[in-house]
Amino acid sequence: MEEKIVIKNLTKEFYDEQRGAIKAVNDLSFTAYAGEIFGLLGPNGAGKTTTLRMMATLMKPNAGTISINGFDTDQDAQNVRKSMGFLSATTALYPRLSPREIITYFANLNGYPEENTKERVEELIKHFGITKYADTLSEKLSTGMKQITSIARTIVHDPPVLILDEPSSGLDVIVAQKIHEHIIDLKNQGKTIIFSSHNMGEVEKVCDRIGVINNGKLLTTGTLDELREITGKYYMEEIFIYLVQEYESVKQKELETAND
Amino acid sequence: MKTLITIYLKDLLRNKYTTMMVMLVPVLLYPMLYWGITQFLMVKTGLTDNQEINLSLDIRSDKFTSIKDSIATIHNFKTTETADENFNKEGIYLIVDEVDYLPYYTIHLDSTNSIQKQFFGKLKVKLSGYYDLQLGGRIDASDYDTDYFDTFWVVRHNIDGGDEAMTKILSILIPMMSIITIIAGIGTGAVELTAGHTEDKTTETTLTTALSRKSIILAKVFATNIYGLVAGIINFTFLTFVIMQIISVLMMQFTNKKLDFDWSVILNLRTLLLSLLSLAIISYMMSLIFVAAAGFAKTRKESNILITPFFMAFMIMSYVVIIPAIEPSLVISLVPVLNIAMVIKLLIVNDIQIVFFTETILFSLIWMFLLYKLLLPFMLEEEIILGNSNTSLIKQIKGRFAKWKKK
Ligand SMILES: Nc1ncnc2c1ncn2[C@@H]1O[C@H](COP(=O)(O)OP(=O)(O)OP(=O)(O)O)[C@@H](O)[C@H]1O
Ligand SMILES: [Mg+2]
Repeated sequence: MEEKIVIKNLTKEFYDEQRGAIKAVNDLSFTAYAGEIFGLLGPNGAGKTTTLRMMATLMKPNAGTISINGFDTDQDAQNVRKSMGFLSATTALYPRLSPREIITYFANLNGYPEENTKERVEELIKHFGITKYADTLSEKLSTGMKQITSIARTIVHDPPVLILDEPSSGLDVIVAQKIHEHIIDLKNQGKTIIFSSHNMGEVEKVCDRIGVINNGKLLTTGTLDELREITGKYYMEEIFIYLVQEYESVKQKELETAND
Repeated sequence: MKTLITIYLKDLLRNKYTTMMVMLVPVLLYPMLYWGITQFLMVKTGLTDNQEINLSLDIRSDKFTSIKDSIATIHNFKTTETADENFNKEGIYLIVDEVDYLPYYTIHLDSTNSIQKQFFGKLKVKLSGYYDLQLGGRIDASDYDTDYFDTFWVVRHNIDGGDEAMTKILSILIPMMSIITIIAGIGTGAVELTAGHTEDKTTETTLTTALSRKSIILAKVFATNIYGLVAGIINFTFLTFVIMQIISVLMMQFTNKKLDFDWSVILNLRTLLLSLLSLAIISYMMSLIFVAAAGFAKTRKESNILITPFFMAFMIMSYVVIIPAIEPSLVISLVPVLNIAMVIKLLIVNDIQIVFFTETILFSLIWMFLLYKLLLPFMLEEEIILGNSNTSLIKQIKGRFAKWKKK
């Protein structure tokens, strides 16, 4: 399988006046392959957004390397950005532009061939069911409409890698369901998708492999079955709670006994 | 980058609230300004009447009496022959002497009076023409070397005129208002495009497109600049129009006849182009500063607070042109904003010196370059660009400052 995302020993530290130095991401490593959905699952403040932002070249890591589609984020940021689509945690649309304008402009900004842009935009508008509100200013749209537009905007230049930060948070089940379908559909087109979430059901349903992250550290990665095996629990919720609360100490004990 | 500038400008211009504030409010204010100023001046003009453009002609050499005919061809000059220097301080006083068989002119006029100055310009053409004619005669008559006589003598004396108020409106209000309206536009644009976009989270997604960080920042600066300039020009146009109205009303008051003022003095291509060039340079510089300053904030509210000191500073600098004692000099040409305000003022009174203009443009460009070099690293900092002002660069500066303080 082709390695599309390779993250090695990634570390990011923030400095906060009150809290002092915070290791938001701490020695994190994982790999995602072509055509798979990798879920990054973690509680609030675990470091999911920070990790995704570093992947998207928004932030520079203090240590470690990230390679996306074969390009290094530090050496070749431009090519990294060309090969990925990034959806931020909030539906970030220019409030006074319409979905059609936004999608078109992002195709331009990402260097999508100009002669094909119009066709591509219309195709996406149709595919995502945006037609009805394609020319309404986005400040007037509902959260669901905005998020759907955001996803269309993210994939307009047809990038091989998609980085989605909580794509379904704040949406009702029906819209969330639609978004899950789209994500799976994109995977079937051969895209590598990494997304963060705290929604267990969503992760269970959509992801091929799951990484559980807490306090900036990746606790474990694996398919749902693998995680079930490691933890001895069945439901994702139980697996998650077990991993976050007990796994660390269990592993520590194992290490200690091994050392003895 | 063009696409991004388009996005920014569309987003800005469709923002009805800010656009109204920046473009329409001043336009609505002008009629009030118009009314206010005319009311004020009508009261004032009651005190000083007889504001006609008079020319008192004092010919002290019989040889040059024919100069009268030459001057008579200028429109709107009310020429009176006199030999009394105190005859009329309200107009231009011209003495024609004879030196070396050639005319020697001495002129008394109010150099703050744009109307007198404009007439002086016309007069000067005639005077130099007449001088050349006489010179030609002299060269023909005797066998003199041409080079010997290439100087045309005009000695100017300044007198206090009566209608300074009118000149002041033109030469002070226009530079001041055009700079202030540009600042207002730039301030609004900068806040929207930096903190506004941080608040709306659009900066983040734009940063993950194939564009480089630098071009995104520069697109913000350019869009701010264009927005400010457009706002400024709209305002400038309306303001000039209102002032034209004011002056024609005033002229009706003074002379009871319709104003036959040559507006090409202000509204000529040269003045407009040079003003626009100066304003474009200064607005680019201000855009850099405002975008950098506003960028430190996470929210619009915060960034409005951050740009306020700069807003005030620039505004005050443009107010300085009011002070009559401030004359164009090397020092003035070094002070950003003030130098441009001065240039526009001088362009309007038609007294711009090429040296001062060149110095101003040169120094402004140097300022622009230095600011660009200084501010760009800040603007590119990830923490600033993502709206978290506790940047490592700032920390570094803070650290150094703390060390320096200890010493
Ligand atoms: N720019 C920043 N400056 C300082 N601290 C930050 C910054 N960004 C994130 N942090 C801190 O880093 C840690 C990780 O934050 P991050 O946003 O990555 O978490 P997350 O897993 O995305 O959480 P959530 O589920 O709430 O989105 C948190 O403690 C957060 O406060
Ligand atoms: Mg997050």
